[in-house]
Amino acid sequence: MHPIIRLVNRNLTISLNPGFLLWQVIFPLIYIFVAGFAYTSLIDEVTFEAKEITYPAFLATGMIGFNIMNSTLVSGIIIWNDRRYGMFEQIMSGPFTRANYILSNIFTIGIIGLVSAFLIALVGFPVFFNSIEFSFITIPLIIFAAITGSVLFGSIASIISTRLKSSEGFNVTINTVFLFFAFVSTAFYPAKGAPEPLASAFYANPLTYVVDVIRAGFFGTFNDFIIIEMLVLILLALGSFYIATKLLTRLDF
Amino acid sequence: MSSIITRSLSKIYDSVKAVDEIDLNVKSGQVFGFLGPNGAGKSTTIKLLTTLIPPSSGKLTVLGIDAVKHPLQVRNRIGVVLQQPSYEPTLSVEKSLDKYGMMWNVPKKIREERVEELLSEFNLEEIRNKKNDDLSIGQRRRVQVAREFIHDMELLFLDEPTVGLDPTARRKLLDFLKNKAKAGLAIFYTTHVLTEAEYICDEIAIINKGKIIAVDSPDDLKNRFGQEKTIKIHLLGNHQSIPNLLKEIKDCKIDFNSGTNITIHSDKSEIVLLQILQILNQQKIPIEDLSAMPTNLEEIFLKVVEYSDASNN
Repeated sequence: MHPIIRLVNRNLTISLNPGFLLWQVIFPLIYIFVAGFAYTSLIDEVTFEAKEITYPAFLATGMIGFNIMNSTLVSGIIIWNDRRYGMFEQIMSGPFTRANYILSNIFTIGIIGLVSAFLIALVGFPVFFNSIEFSFITIPLIIFAAITGSVLFGSIASIISTRLKSSEGFNVTINTVFLFFAFVSTAFYPAKGAPEPLASAFYANPLTYVVDVIRAGFFGTFNDFIIIEMLVLILLALGSFYIATKLLTRLDF
Repeated sequence: MSSIITRSLSKIYDSVKAVDEIDLNVKSGQVFGFLGPNGAGKSTTIKLLTTLIPPSSGKLTVLGIDAVKHPLQVRNRIGVVLQQPSYEPTLSVEKSLDKYGMMWNVPKKIREERVEELLSEFNLEEIRNKKNDDLSIGQRRRVQVAREFIHDMELLFLDEPTVGLDPTARRKLLDFLKNKAKAGLAIFYTTHVLTEAEYICDEIAIINKGKIIAVDSPDDLKNRFGQEKTIKIHLLGNHQSIPNLLKEIKDCKIDFNSGTNITIHSDKSEIVLLQILQILNQQKIPIEDLSAMPTNLEEIFLKVVEYSDASNN
C-alpha cells in the first residue's frame, strides 16, 4: 500500500469519531429544516442569478458549501494534534516524507469534503428537488466545489495550525476565521439586497464562490461569472496550498 | 558490520555547535549507550542519525546507506522511540498498536499476532481497550516503546525509553531489549539512569557540549577512569578530633560527616586505608562498620564530564 494511502487511513481513523460524524450531519439538518423553514415566514423566495428559489432550497445548497468548509477543520486539527501529541515527529522518523504527510492531509479532507457534500445533498434533497435543474455539469460542478473548497479551507486550517502553539490560540483563531467565512458569505443569505459594504464583503470570501458554484450546479445557473469564480477558487486553492506546504516543510523538530 | 558510522558529523544552530564533529561506530547486534548531561547534544545527535534533521557537515552512514542522500531508505529500516511522548489520544492501546503497524505496511495477519504478543510482553492486556489519553505517563511510555516492535527493523533508537516506568517494568524492558540485541538488533540507547546503561550497554559513548569525550565498554571505562575507590568507615561514637588526626594523609580526599562517618576517595585506597586504620587503632577509636565500593559508572560519568568541562574552560 502506498504511504499516502496508509496515512489517509490513519487520518480517517483518528478524526472520524461518532461525535464528529453526528455533528457533520445533525448541525446542517437543524439549519436546513429548522432555520430554513422558520425563516420562510420572513423570506419566501430568494433570487439567485435571475432565478427564484425557495429559501430552504437556497439554504440547503449553501449548507453543502458550509459543510465542506467545516469538514476541512479536520486538516488543521490533525496537524495541530500531531504536533501536540508528538506524532508529527514520530511519523517523520518513519517511512514517510513530508510530501506524503501533506498530501495525505489534503486527500483526507478531500474525502471528508466529498462525503460531507454528498450527505448534505442527500438529506437536503427533499427541500430543493423542486428547484433542481440537472444537467451534465451538475455533478462535475459539485465535485469541483468540494475539491477546491477542501484544498483551500484545508490549507487555511493547516496554515493556522502551523503558526499557533497553544490550544486556546488555535481554537480561538480557527473559530474566528471560520465564523467570518461562514457568516460573511452567501451560504445563509443572498448578496442581492444586502447593504452594499456587506454585499461586497461577501465576495471577498471564498466560501461565497464555493456555494455559488454548488448552486450553479443544482439550479442550472452556470454563467460567465461562475467561470470567473471557479478560476479565482483554483488560484486561491493553489496559493494557499503552496503556502501551507512551505510552512509545513519548515516546521522544526 | 557497522550499523552506524559517523565521521566529523556536526550540527550548527545559529553559530552554536550542538553536535561538534563526532565520530561514532555502532556495530550490529550491539546496545550502544549514548550518555551525556542535559543539553549535551544527545537528542540532536539522535535526530541527525534518524534523518529527522540534516547535518551541517560530516558523513553519516546508517545500515550501509548514505543517510544524507537517502534518508527515506534509512527510515524504512529503523525504529525510533523519541524522548517526547507520541500517541494518538483518541485511539485505544490495541488500536494504536494496530494502526501503527498498518502505517508501517505490516500485513494484517502478522499485525494481529504481533499486537497480541506485544500486549502480553509489555503487560498491556488489562489496558488494551483504554484510550491513550486516559493512560498514566508510565503506561503511555510502555505503549510507545511496544508500538515500535510492531514492525521489523535492523536498528532501533531509544531516547530515554524508561522515563516514567516503575522498576519492574524497567527491568522487564531492559531484558526484552537485551534479547532483541542478542537476536541481532542494533540499539542506540540514551538514558540518564547510569545503572541502566551499565546493565544493558555493550559500549558507551559520553557526549558533552556536542563533543564525544569517551567511548568504550562499561568495564573498560571503569578500568580507564575508575581506579579511584570509595571507602566508608562508620565509627562507634562521635569523634570530633578525626579531621585533625587524618589531615596528614596524602593522595586522598576525606569527607567527615557528623564525627561518626568517614568517606575516603583515593586511587591508592589500600595504602590510605592502612594508614587510617593505624591511626584509629593508636587512638583506640572503635570501628562499627567498614565498606569499600568500586567506582560505578555514575562516578565515572561525573568525573569524565567534570574533566571535560575543566578542559574547555
